[in-house]
Amino acid sequence: MLVINSLTKNYDGFTAVDNLSFKVGEGEIFGFLGHNRAGKTTTISMLVSLIRPSSGSAEIAGYDVVKDNLKVRSMLGYLPENVNLYSNLTAFENLYFFGSLSGVENVEKRINEVLKDLEMNSWKDTKVREFSKGMRQRIGIAQALLHKPRILFLDEPTSGLDPQGTKSIRDLLLYINNKWNTTIFLNTHLLSEVKKICSSIGIISHGQLLMTDSLINIKKKFGSEKSLEDIYFRIEGDQNNGENTVYSI
Amino acid sequence: MGKILSIASKEIKTAFKDKAFLAVALLFLLLSILSVYIGSATKNAEITAYQDIVNLLKSQGATSIPAEPKIFPLSILKNIINYVAVIGSIVAIFLGFNSFSEEREEGTIKLLLSRPIYRDQLINGKLFGGAFVIAGLLIITLVFNCFLFTVVSGMNINFAEFSRLTVFFVFAFYYMISFYLASLFVSLKSQNSTFAFLLMLIIWMGVSYVIPQLAESQKNYVYVLNNISQTMNQMPQDTLISKTIEIFSPTVQFKNIGRDLLQVVPEHAQLSLFTLLKLNLRSIIYLLVPGLFMLFGSYNSFLKEGN
Repeated sequence: MLVINSLTKNYDGFTAVDNLSFKVGEGEIFGFLGHNRAGKTTTISMLVSLIRPSSGSAEIAGYDVVKDNLKVRSMLGYLPENVNLYSNLTAFENLYFFGSLSGVENVEKRINEVLKDLEMNSWKDTKVREFSKGMRQRIGIAQALLHKPRILFLDEPTSGLDPQGTKSIRDLLLYINNKWNTTIFLNTHLLSEVKKICSSIGIISHGQLLMTDSLINIKKKFGSEKSLEDIYFRIEGDQNNGENTVYSI
Repeated sequence: MGKILSIASKEIKTAFKDKAFLAVALLFLLLSILSVYIGSATKNAEITAYQDIVNLLKSQGATSIPAEPKIFPLSILKNIINYVAVIGSIVAIFLGFNSFSEEREEGTIKLLLSRPIYRDQLINGKLFGGAFVIAGLLIITLVFNCFLFTVVSGMNINFAEFSRLTVFFVFAFYYMISFYLASLFVSLKSQNSTFAFLLMLIIWMGVSYVIPQLAESQKNYVYVLNNISQTMNQMPQDTLISKTIEIFSPTVQFKNIGRDLLQVVPEHAQLSLFTLLKLNLRSIIYLLVPGLFMLFGSYNSFLKEGN
């Protein structure tokens, strides 16, 4: 579904993403793990065609994110970190607007379907500014799902949520993945989140990919007695000690 | 086109849900209505005063009666020139100052740009939305004014006068759009809505007050010089310097055109519309340039951001 090849982004002498290469298969929930400012958001921004890579390429379902950016954008759903939507408009008005921009046919019907799936139907005529952070995230996910995307990019979707809200978003992502086999690319720095829902992970630090593999393989490689947290810190530690090992199969 | 219209319709919806914008737009409407009322009442008072004088002179047996003052119907609406120049520009600023900066603050710009739309479609949509709101406001003002004008002043306007009034509103539209475009440009360039608003207020003050006053002070300076040197008839009051300063103020240009169109300048009150436009060609060009410049700047800046 997603093929990334030597993807790099430079900003005035600073390399935010450095020579990234990996693949994400169809129907996977891929956790893109890294500390703050590791390069996760820059990577996702290039994948959803918000910014152009300095070099390298990425393909979604065989379409290049730069050359075929309109096609790529029509098949992806995206929820950036800390998005507030249009707070003066109702949930329905927000969804109608984003649905129209995505070229969804019979938007009204589709909004009702998505809101029903997300258990937000009774809130559709409420202004977004009256929503809690968790509800806003659900509407944010709803807007990303309207056009039935093949891949969903979520940037820290549980950031700032209470445990209840975090669990509810996690359950929702599993539900989406199970119901429509939607590939999910999840940017996060929460290991617990990755452990609970991801089938494969990539670890990025200082713009470089340190490791990418399925969770099962990682467990095998590092010993099943080790927790994901231990593994993460060991890999990060290796990089900080100057051992630029890239763990992958 | 469908996506542009979706963006435009969202802009319109958001504008009408924004209390600050609604308050300024309402103020604009009320003041324009008030201007018709005041203008009509003043003209009626002038006519009554003239009739009283005529009656008095007649009762005293005077044979020479002063000519009836010439009343140009559109001049009744002259106050609207100032309201458009000052409040109209503020309405446009309120409409546009946060159009991009707020999208950035709220993160919605990322949602928009991750949709299958081109960047210029986003600008076009916002522009259409803003233009629709401004045009709607001006059309309501025009209809109200024509209605009130007929009811309060008891005068009717002929086709030529209606054409002048319509062309005045076209220029008023462009003048307000220029401020909207400037706000759009500033909003594109700034990350913060408060900063964008403050910057637009400074630009508005500069363009609407500082530059015209600078030009005016230059005229006064020459006037004093002329008086001292007794060359009143040799040196024009409007110096090249003050005219050059005025070029940088669309407000001055709009007022010049507006005064001619609304028959405020008696010498130009009965000229044909075409002659009038020809006469004001320079002001029209100076009015058009800043808006076009801002439009080009907005496209250029936003399209470059995508690279």
